[in-house]
Amino acid sequence: MSDLLAQKFQNSVDELGKVLLGKEQQIRLAITCLLSGGHLLIEDLPGMGKTTLAHSLARVFGLADKRVQFTSDMLPADILGVSVFEAATGQFRFHPGPVFTQVLLADEINRTTPKTQSALLEAMEEGQVTQDGETRVLPTPFFVIATQNPVTQYGTFPLPESQLDRFLMRIALGYPAPEVERRLLTVGDTRQQIDSLQTMVTVQELMQAQKVINEVHASSSLIDYLQRLVQYTREGSGFSSGVSPRGALALLRCARSWAWLEGREHVVPEDLQRVLEPVIGHRIRPAEDIAGHTSTRLVAELLSQVDVMS
Amino acid sequence: MKQPVQQISRAAVVWQLVAFVAVVVPHLIWMPFWIPLFCLAMIACRLMIHSGRWSFPHWSIKLLLMLITAAGLLLTFDKQSLLSGTVSLLVLGLSLKLLEIYHRRDALVLIYVAYFVATTIFLFEQEMWVALLCFIAILLVTAALNSVWQDPQRIDYKRPLVQSCRVLFPAIPLMLLLFLLFPRIEPLWSVQLDRSAAVTGLSDTMAPGDISQLTRSGAMAFRVVFDGEPPPPAQRYWRAMVYSQFDGRQWSQASLQSSQSAESLITLSEPLEYQIIQERTGRNWMFALDMPVSSGQVTDGVLTRTRTLESKSTIESRLHYRLQSSTAYQLGADLSGDERARYTRIPASSNPRTQALSEQLWQDAGQQPDRYIDALLGLFNREFTYTLQPPRMEQHSIDQFMLEHQRGFCEHFAGAFAFMLRAAGIPARVVGGYQGGEWNPYQGYLLLRQYDAHAWTEVWLEGEGWVRIDPTAAVAPQRIEQSLDSLFADDPGFLADNPVSALRVTRSGVMLQLRLYYEGANFAWHRWVLHYQGEQEQLLRNWLGELSPLRMILALMLPASFVLGWVAWMQLGQTATIRRDPVDRALHRLLKRLAKKGIPRHPEESLQAYCARLAQERPDLSKPLRQMALLDEQQRYGQNSSPEHRRELLELIRACHRSL
Repeated sequence: MSDLLAQKFQNSVDELGKVLLGKEQQIRLAITCLLSGGHLLIEDLPGMGKTTLAHSLARVFGLADKRVQFTSDMLPADILGVSVFEAATGQFRFHPGPVFTQVLLADEINRTTPKTQSALLEAMEEGQVTQDGETRVLPTPFFVIATQNPVTQYGTFPLPESQLDRFLMRIALGYPAPEVERRLLTVGDTRQQIDSLQTMVTVQELMQAQKVINEVHASSSLIDYLQRLVQYTREGSGFSSGVSPRGALALLRCARSWAWLEGREHVVPEDLQRVLEPVIGHRIRPAEDIAGHTSTRLVAELLSQVDVMS
Repeated sequence: MKQPVQQISRAAVVWQLVAFVAVVVPHLIWMPFWIPLFCLAMIACRLMIHSGRWSFPHWSIKLLLMLITAAGLLLTFDKQSLLSGTVSLLVLGLSLKLLEIYHRRDALVLIYVAYFVATTIFLFEQEMWVALLCFIAILLVTAALNSVWQDPQRIDYKRPLVQSCRVLFPAIPLMLLLFLLFPRIEPLWSVQLDRSAAVTGLSDTMAPGDISQLTRSGAMAFRVVFDGEPPPPAQRYWRAMVYSQFDGRQWSQASLQSSQSAESLITLSEPLEYQIIQERTGRNWMFALDMPVSSGQVTDGVLTRTRTLESKSTIESRLHYRLQSSTAYQLGADLSGDERARYTRIPASSNPRTQALSEQLWQDAGQQPDRYIDALLGLFNREFTYTLQPPRMEQHSIDQFMLEHQRGFCEHFAGAFAFMLRAAGIPARVVGGYQGGEWNPYQGYLLLRQYDAHAWTEVWLEGEGWVRIDPTAAVAPQRIEQSLDSLFADDPGFLADNPVSALRVTRSGVMLQLRLYYEGANFAWHRWVLHYQGEQEQLLRNWLGELSPLRMILALMLPASFVLGWVAWMQLGQTATIRRDPVDRALHRLLKRLAKKGIPRHPEESLQAYCARLAQERPDLSKPLRQMALLDEQQRYGQNSSPEHRRELLELIRACHRSL
């Protein structure tokens, strides 16, 4: 049963690969994030396929999706919804905002003001929205794929660490390889392609998989390794702040999902290493903001310094 | 690439100030008063800058300060005081540098000079407490050095000191080792040290009448360590010089007759062996217990005709020497005509009344020397008083002393006694030196202070030779039996040069014990640390047998490598862990072997990834490697591990190891 389920997810990876050419790694990470029940932040330059990934994911998993383009004049009500007085009934009626969906694509989240950002992030954390004193539960699964431009670009409000922490993973898509790009250019319209995608996994299957993943075995050797990695980020001189216990838990959950997606019943260090950068990259900060000390480098240092086998 | 300018942290600035103070404090003992005041002013300025009230001084102010210090130095020091002038220059330079510490480079200049200044104190003083202060100064300067390299953002005041202790602590055994073993080399050049005149209770001449108030100093004259038991207090006569000429007012030494051998000596008791540690006197004389048998192991000393010890050059530093003396002896059985004439010569016209008195007493004694001496001592005992504040005596001082005042101290008695003996034709002379001493029970040595200076008389008797007679003993026997210290405890003249002397308050009880203990420790310091070069060879010979360069190097290298090894182990050794599990052990042996073969495992590589890589490099081993990786994965990360699997894994690992 479990194998069959895993196979379905494996197939969905291939299906997504039809649209997002040469991005298997990122697709897997996105699915891992979905399986782990967390939200995904994609940070990259405009036009790298962030939106395509979000749409394709929703389609392949049979989820309802909505897209919000964030702008600097956006207000919380534009996302959460608004109560409008209806003369006919003489009552306020709640018009749900785009947040009431299963997959929300929050495009360019760092272009809006912190006020609007925090409204969304609250919804992400609580799984519910409180408006006019009334609490409304969001549909399940609720999966936010936020995209953001690199903070060095103009007109951005960078997310503070505490809000970055709400995202389970942060990934970058990157430029495609030359031959892949060539193929991309010859294939033609992306939208048509997305429409042609098959739904591979139902919502029920997704919920079931999320449960199964908790049973993936993580041995004490692996927990030790994870602990050493986390400890290093807290003690190493290159880090100004280390990974929090929440980060450590997220790391283990993602490693389990990754292992399950790979068809294993236990987690191996490689699973952990694959998800390490996406999971902790946005949670650590280098000690000195010297150019070139990006989180990618920090994670590479972390990996090279912490021995897998004690 | 240009190095960025490094600003030092605020804690580091404070540490520079602390280091500076620590370095200057020992120098306070000799410095002219204005230099510490100037330094204090500079520290205050720096604190004002540190607290942000003032800004860094303009170059013109710095120039002005520099000119002021230069002028001050030129006015204070002349050519004679080159050393203190140089050190003062360094100290003032340091204090000025305090004003402009901003970059790491400035602080480093200050610190390196501070290290140097800290050690220059030994050119002025080598006491134990100075060494202690210097050690503390070095510790603090090292802390300042540590603080300079601290992250400017991280202000931590305590850490540099902790680091400094951690760095210097392992150096202590090495320091001791080098101290014990390192050969003492004669200095390649020497510096003229500034010396003020030494205070001493002795002088080349003796004119008792000139002194109306004798102030006595508690300064140390010399110390003695006996190989055996010390002689009883009544026999502790320390001979320094013999006054054999009298000009009517003043006793002086006869002109040096180094060609003549010492007067013959027959020892009647087993000689005592002892070591003398003599303080600097600036004179030639050395000390010996009555009566020195030979000049022994004294390098520069010669035994004079009158059996006193004399150094060829003036004694400008602390001097150690070993001697042998016999307390029962017969000295100079034969007296030549010349000498008899010299030792009975008195100016005919001097002190006529005393001469007449002598004549009378001589006749009363039936011209018998024994009875004459008894009569004189009896006279002293009956009529005379011992005091440290005798009246001043003008012309014919002995007449005045004998017939008018009848009060005086040892020099008066010894001088008058010798004069009256000579007046009766009996050869006599005055001996100057020290008498008594304070026994320190903690370190077992005798301490002679300047106020122990004493004068007594030697009389030549037919058949007996030179006999020591101390007329002071007839007047004030306590002076000889006890010490002057206890005799004049309440006399204001005693120790008048030093009214706040510690000796005044430490005559009894706990304070006395404490003082003796302190002096004992100080003595051990002088003997075993400062004078160690004297003992080094003997000590090393006792430990190592015959000395050879090889043995010396071994003796240095073995303990040094032990200490350094210990340090290295402390620093690095804790990384190794003990592996108890046989599979684990076998696996690590295999990994080590592979690493030696040039295919090391990277830390981030799991065993599985490593085996996959290895299998590509060694296709012949790919099958067992894959199998091993799989089994290990099941063991390490999987859910089902069984003892059979473990055994299988162990076998596989061993097989891989063998096939390498």
